[in-house]
Amino acid sequence: MYGGAQTQREVPIIWDTRDPYLKPKPIHRKTNITVKFTDLYGFTVEGNVDDVNVLNEVRERVRQQGKAWWELEASKGANWYLQPKISSISEVAVSNLKISVLANTLALNRLIRKGIPPVLRPKVWLSVSGAAKKRSTVPESYYDDLIKAVEGKVTPATRQIDHDLPRTFPGHPWLDTPEGHASLRRVLVAYSFRDSDVGYCQGLNYVAALLLLVMKTEEDAFWMLAVLLENVLVNDCYTDNLSGCHVEQRVFKDLLAKKCPRIASHLESMDFDVSLVATEWFLCLFSKSLPSETTMRVWDVLFNEGAKVLFRVALAIFKMKEEQLLVTHQIGDVISILQSATHHLFDPDELLTVAFDKIGSMTTNAITKQRKKQEPAVMAELDQRLRRLNSLKEEK
Amino acid sequence: MATTGINYIPAKLVLLGEMGTGKSSLVLRFVKGQFFDYQESTIGAAFFTQTLAVNETTAKFEIWDTAGQERYHSLAPMYYRGAAAAIVVYDISNTDSFTRAKKWVEELRQHGNPNMVIALAGNKADLVDNKQVEAEVAQTYAQDNGLLFLETSAKTAQGVNELFLEIARRLPKANPTQPSRMIVVDRSSERLVSTSYYCC
Ligand SMILES: Nc1nc2c(ncn2[C@@H]2O[C@H](COP(=O)(O)OP(=O)(O)O)[C@@H](O)[C@H]2O)c(=O)[nH]1
Ligand SMILES: [Mg+2]
Repeated sequence: MYGGAQTQREVPIIWDTRDPYLKPKPIHRKTNITVKFTDLYGFTVEGNVDDVNVLNEVRERVRQQGKAWWELEASKGANWYLQPKISSISEVAVSNLKISVLANTLALNRLIRKGIPPVLRPKVWLSVSGAAKKRSTVPESYYDDLIKAVEGKVTPATRQIDHDLPRTFPGHPWLDTPEGHASLRRVLVAYSFRDSDVGYCQGLNYVAALLLLVMKTEEDAFWMLAVLLENVLVNDCYTDNLSGCHVEQRVFKDLLAKKCPRIASHLESMDFDVSLVATEWFLCLFSKSLPSETTMRVWDVLFNEGAKVLFRVALAIFKMKEEQLLVTHQIGDVISILQSATHHLFDPDELLTVAFDKIGSMTTNAITKQRKKQEPAVMAELDQRLRRLNSLKEEK
Repeated sequence: MATTGINYIPAKLVLLGEMGTGKSSLVLRFVKGQFFDYQESTIGAAFFTQTLAVNETTAKFEIWDTAGQERYHSLAPMYYRGAAAAIVVYDISNTDSFTRAKKWVEELRQHGNPNMVIALAGNKADLVDNKQVEAEVAQTYAQDNGLLFLETSAKTAQGVNELFLEIARRLPKANPTQPSRMIVVDRSSERLVSTSYYCC
């Protein structure tokens, strides 16, 4: 292939999100029929006939939701959803903003919870997450310059990235091609040089891969990754000792005890640490567990409302399986219930309805307080472990 | 889950060791009898179960195959907490991985369950031409530290079943008085009962 990295980067990823209704190819098994099909983002999924029906229904809903967005555009003006948002009511009083801006913000929040149409995702995500703003503060050539500057450099991060490229969604029709690998590599390598504290952390490969599929261009995917790590998620989720991730896990355990006390105490009686399953959810932002369109719907809200959305979704998964979880006696059963639940969550609305209507209130303030409370304990624990390891080193 | 007269002994088992030493391959060989060159990378750990009948009892292994870069090792305590057994894996063609394995052993000794059965596995035993860690050295270290030691190859299956079988034998409830030495196995008394696996 000619053109080299420079021009390839500008070629958007062609991804047909409007393919016709699924025509499942059945694989006959002894008792039930499992079908294999390709989803909206090109992933091969296995499910039963009900799953396929759900998926077709979801596609129809995505289409309807698209119409809702176009209609609003007709009444509110083109790109109304890209206007600056208000993050809290009190801000209105302070800045004396027009009431119509507030109305738009509320309408947009509601709309986003119901899903952003796939074709609008790139521009809406860039806008609501703050990625567009972040990009506007640096020269236009920032990404290209960065790519050029780091080309051919070898670091521990680039070595790890190279190791992981063929292991990131293997078998995907675009990601698992030389072109897909090269694209993903550039995004991850570029980011590893932008923030050397993060460098590269496993898990980001999955996140960046999905960002590429949605955003269509590498540069947009890069900025989404940047805003995610620098603004949307808590600090230090992927650095050093994953300390931010440890903090989030502790906050999550407290929330589970508060919001789903029966599950929490049952699992505790089995000595089952919920982080055994939830850590991956948080580090990969559900991309390895949920079907792709469901993951994208979670990310729609994540980019608009912030990291606390991850708690709501994780709690919702437990809540949806409450009855089944309460009768388990073995950790293997807990894990298989949660895994099959997440793998079969083809209906994003089912999940998000529980996440936003059945979990109860969860203010950003309360979460922030929880995090502050957990930080010292996490730091002490990690520090102790590190010192222990270092002392072992000296003895040798 | 029906326990039709069989005495299941659940046993949490964790695999630790440097990335690339073959932890996942060992598990895959043990649980599914397969070997692959490429697998989807695991974030945190993957969970598997496998039951193994030893004499009159059946050990039900709940296996945590830990994964990831060095920074992921900060998650390890969650996986080895309460574990009945651990397999610390190094790659016989890589000295550094042996050094790292020794650190894992010490961490487990200090912070794991005191009765934990710890096995040291020198994996990739098929790579004889690139051997950097001599079996005698590892064996001596294992003896000094009360570890079970075996050289294994997930690729050729050498030593893999023996490793898990020997661990099953040493599990406290299975046989509290078992001496710590290798035993020639009566094949008729061991069988893999059932298998399931979930990739986290
Ligand atoms: N020759 C050889 N290669 C192995 C063996 N076990 C694993 N490998 C290879 O070593 C690499 C890393 O193995 P993996 O199981 O992913 O290691 P992990 O990171 O410890 O889980 C893979 O390419 C495996 O195919 C073995 O016994 N012999
Ligand atoms: Mg592995």
